[in-house]
Parts: sequence; C-alpha cells; structure tokens
Amino acid sequence: MADYTWPSIYFAYSYFVLMVLGALVFLIRTVKDGYWGARGEDVKYQVFDSHEEREEGRTS
Amino acid sequence: MQEQISRAEIAGGAAPSGALVHEDTTAKWFLVSSVAYFFIVGIVAVVIAAKFVWPELMSTIPAMGYGRLRPLHVNGMLFGWLLAADMALTYYLIPRLCGVRLWSETLGKATAILWNAIILGAVVSLLMGWNQGLEYAELPLPLDVAVVVAWIMYGFNLFMTISQRRYPAMYVSIWYVMGTILWTAFVYLTGNFAVLFTTGVNQANLNWMYVHNAVGLIFTPVGLALAYYFIPKASNTPLYSHKLSMIGFWSLAFVYVWTGAHHMLHGPISQWLQTIAIAFSVMLLIPVWAAVYNFFATMKGQWHQLRDNVPLKFLMSGVVFYLLTCFQGPMHSLRAVNAIVSKTDWIPGHAHMAVLGAFSFFAIAGAYYMVPRVWGKQLYSDSLANWSYWMWMIGGIGFFVTLWLGGFWQGWQWNNPAIPFIDTVVALEPVWLVRFFSGILMFAGILFFSYNILATVLGEKPKPTAA
Repeated sequence: MADYTWPSIYFAYSYFVLMVLGALVFLIRTVKDGYWGARGEDVKYQVFDSHEEREEGRTS
Repeated sequence: MQEQISRAEIAGGAAPSGALVHEDTTAKWFLVSSVAYFFIVGIVAVVIAAKFVWPELMSTIPAMGYGRLRPLHVNGMLFGWLLAADMALTYYLIPRLCGVRLWSETLGKATAILWNAIILGAVVSLLMGWNQGLEYAELPLPLDVAVVVAWIMYGFNLFMTISQRRYPAMYVSIWYVMGTILWTAFVYLTGNFAVLFTTGVNQANLNWMYVHNAVGLIFTPVGLALAYYFIPKASNTPLYSHKLSMIGFWSLAFVYVWTGAHHMLHGPISQWLQTIAIAFSVMLLIPVWAAVYNFFATMKGQWHQLRDNVPLKFLMSGVVFYLLTCFQGPMHSLRAVNAIVSKTDWIPGHAHMAVLGAFSFFAIAGAYYMVPRVWGKQLYSDSLANWSYWMWMIGGIGFFVTLWLGGFWQGWQWNNPAIPFIDTVVALEPVWLVRFFSGILMFAGILFFSYNILATVLGEKPKPTAA
C-alpha cells in the first residue's frame, strides 16, 4: 500500500492555514462592520422576537 | 422590530398584522428524530454500563458485544442525538435571528431524511461489526460520504438564510453557527478521509486532532450558539456583553485546533508538538471564561428564575459543567497530571461532563423551550420536566465524580509496576457499580424528557395565549 502520510499531513495543515486566514479576514471585517464600536452592543437585542419583548429585555 | 411566531402558534387563525410566520417543519423533524435516538441509544448506554459490572451479560451474541455497542453508543449519542438536536435548534434560531424565513424548508426536510438514513445505516453497520476502527470515525466510508453531503445541504441552507438576513449586524449565535458549519467540514474531512491515507503515529495524531476537535470545534461552538440564544430568551434578559462574546468566539477560533495532540503526551510524537498542545490547551481558559463570565453576568439579579424555569435550570447547570470540564481539560493536559489520568476512567468522566453535562443540557433546554412554541401547545408536564432535570443532575454528578476519583485511583495503580494489571481491573468493580446506578438515573432523565416531548407533540394541550 502506498503511504500518503506526508500529502495527508500537508493537506490537513494547509486546510488549517486556510481556516486561520479566513478567520483573520473575518476578524478584521468585524472591526470595519462596527462590532467593537460604540453601538456594538445593540446587536444583543436581536434575540427578542417582538418589540414588546425587546423593550422588556432592555429595562430588565 | 417585527414580531416572529411559529405557524402552529396561530392555530388556523390569522397571523398578527406584519408578523413573520416561521414554518419550522425542518426543526420539528430533526428534533423528534433526535429525541427518539436519545432514548434508543440511552438503552445501549445502560447495557454498556452493566457490562462493566457483569462482563458476561449477552456476551455470546456478537452484535451485543462491548466492541460493537460502544461505537454505537458514541456515534449514536454524538450524531444521532446531540448533533441532530443542535441542527434542529439552529434551524429554529437562525431564521429568527436573521428576521427571515428559512431559505428552503424542502431542502431542510431532505436533509432530515438523509440524516435519519445515515443514523439508521450507522446502527445496522456498527451492530454488524462494519467498523473502520478509528475513534469517533467508526462509520463505513459510504456513510462518511453521506454525512458530508448532508452537511453541505445543512450548511448551504443556513448560509443562504443568513445571506438574506434583515439585520446587517449578526448576533454572536450566528457567528458560532457559521463557525460550526465551516469547522465541522474541516474536522470531519480530516478525521474521516485524510486519516485513511496515513499510517502509524501520524495517523494517531490526525485521529486525535479529529476526536478532540469533534468536541471543541463542532459541539462546543454549536452548544455555545444555543446558550447565547436561549439564556437571554429563557430569562428574558439581554446578554451582558456582546463584545465579550466576540472575544470568546475569536479566541476559540484561534486556539482550539492545536489542542488534539495532548491526547498523545508521553507518546511517540515530537516534544514540540506536545508542548504546543499543552500551551494551547491552557489558553482555552480564555474563550471559556469569557463565555462563562458573560452568562453569569447576564443572570445577575435573575437567579430567582431558576426556581421554576426548567430550561434556565438546564442552561445554567450546563454553564457550570462547561466551566468545570473546561478547567479539567487544560489541567489534565499538563504532563504531570496526564501521566496519571491518561487512558483511565477519568477521561470518559471528563468527556461525559462535556457532551452530556454541558452541551446536551443546552440542547435539552432548547428543546423544552422550542417544542411548545413550534407545536403551539403547552408542555405536557412541567413537573416531569423538573424530574428529568433532577435525574440527570444526581445521576450525572454520581457518574462524573465516580469516574474522576476512580480514574485517578486507576492511574496511580497503573503507575505502580508491582501491581498486576488484572488486580487494577478487579479493584475498579465498586466504581463501575456506582457508574451503572448513576447511568440508571440518567436514563430515567432521558425517559422523562423523551416522554414529555412526545406527549407534548402528540397531545392536545393548547397554549393558553399566543406568544
């Protein structure tokens, strides 16, 4: 049986590098999209389905 | 903000003006099948626990041997129950967080059918002994291919839903679900395909990277997605800090993938790789504590709700188990501790606290929250739900603590060359007896939960008011 150990290792680690690069790109995107800015906390109210539930959540 | 309700909640009447009505058919199909597998595989779990105490139990029947039941238990619980339940709950929460309907219920239903075919195929093949012999990757190759196809269908449906979202900013649960979809692809392909082309130590190293990341990059992110959604929902309290949740997400994304080699400490792999695995395992404390602090801070002033809010009980107990298991993980990846606990009963104790104590608790909470809403009915019995919680808590703590202490004791014995191995097996009998009775209690939790969910789905107890 041919041993494909090294190609497999290269595959696994290049896939990993690809994931890291993708993560870095999207991490930088979060800065541009305002997740770390002054209004970055507004998004947490999205879990509430209705306006009433949202207002109730804001005041609790 | 637009009101969102499930089709079943309007019960034939007209939806409130301007409300977004979700069909939730895919979520229902996945949830019902996952609960059924939870019950069936729970029976297998009890049989396995009994075999530790009475090894001759059904030992003359090949399909009932430990070697066949154990992979069935592991794969059944991981993919038949937990991942399917997680998929059900993400089919429920992603459209709501995006303010749109699921992109395709038809594709979702096809995914549910394929997933059930895979699980049934897994039951048959593993009982027949068709097993690839790789931890967590026992399924035969055709089923592995089917899992990849199903995952692409699932991921495509959710990514299309997210791409059409009404709100530009994405809540942290969406980030975690997207991470789960991408990381699962990476982890599953490596663990089930790349690993087949390697040999020896390299194969073992890749396999352990897969095993550890199956928990760390599949069940952890999707479990946290559920916790970040259902804790604010069940307590009706906004998350303490979305920014802190993002720190947790990104640190998890960068840290987790390197930790798998800590399963091979003191083994025949490079010291630098072992050291990296240890360093990154300890760094896991950052994402874990970021998440746990956020959940506890969210509950500030709301702890009284735990008295009668069953989903919240499961969620916050799951958070505590998550903290404990993720403190235990980094600590036993240290060389000195690992020399004692590696390969002992400590490890299943740790794994059960993660997969059952933390992530299954999050999924169970999500099921108790979702089922009355998507079926438009009252939960069959709040009291039974409470009983299921206490059965799992008492049984779970008995199971975890017994295996930690027993595993530590076992490790000390193994480190003493004067003790024959068989004596260490005999010495563990009382531990395995407690494990069996704890397992019975946990199975009672599964029984109460499954019955409650099934009775709610099939029963006729309408909700008193629309949500």
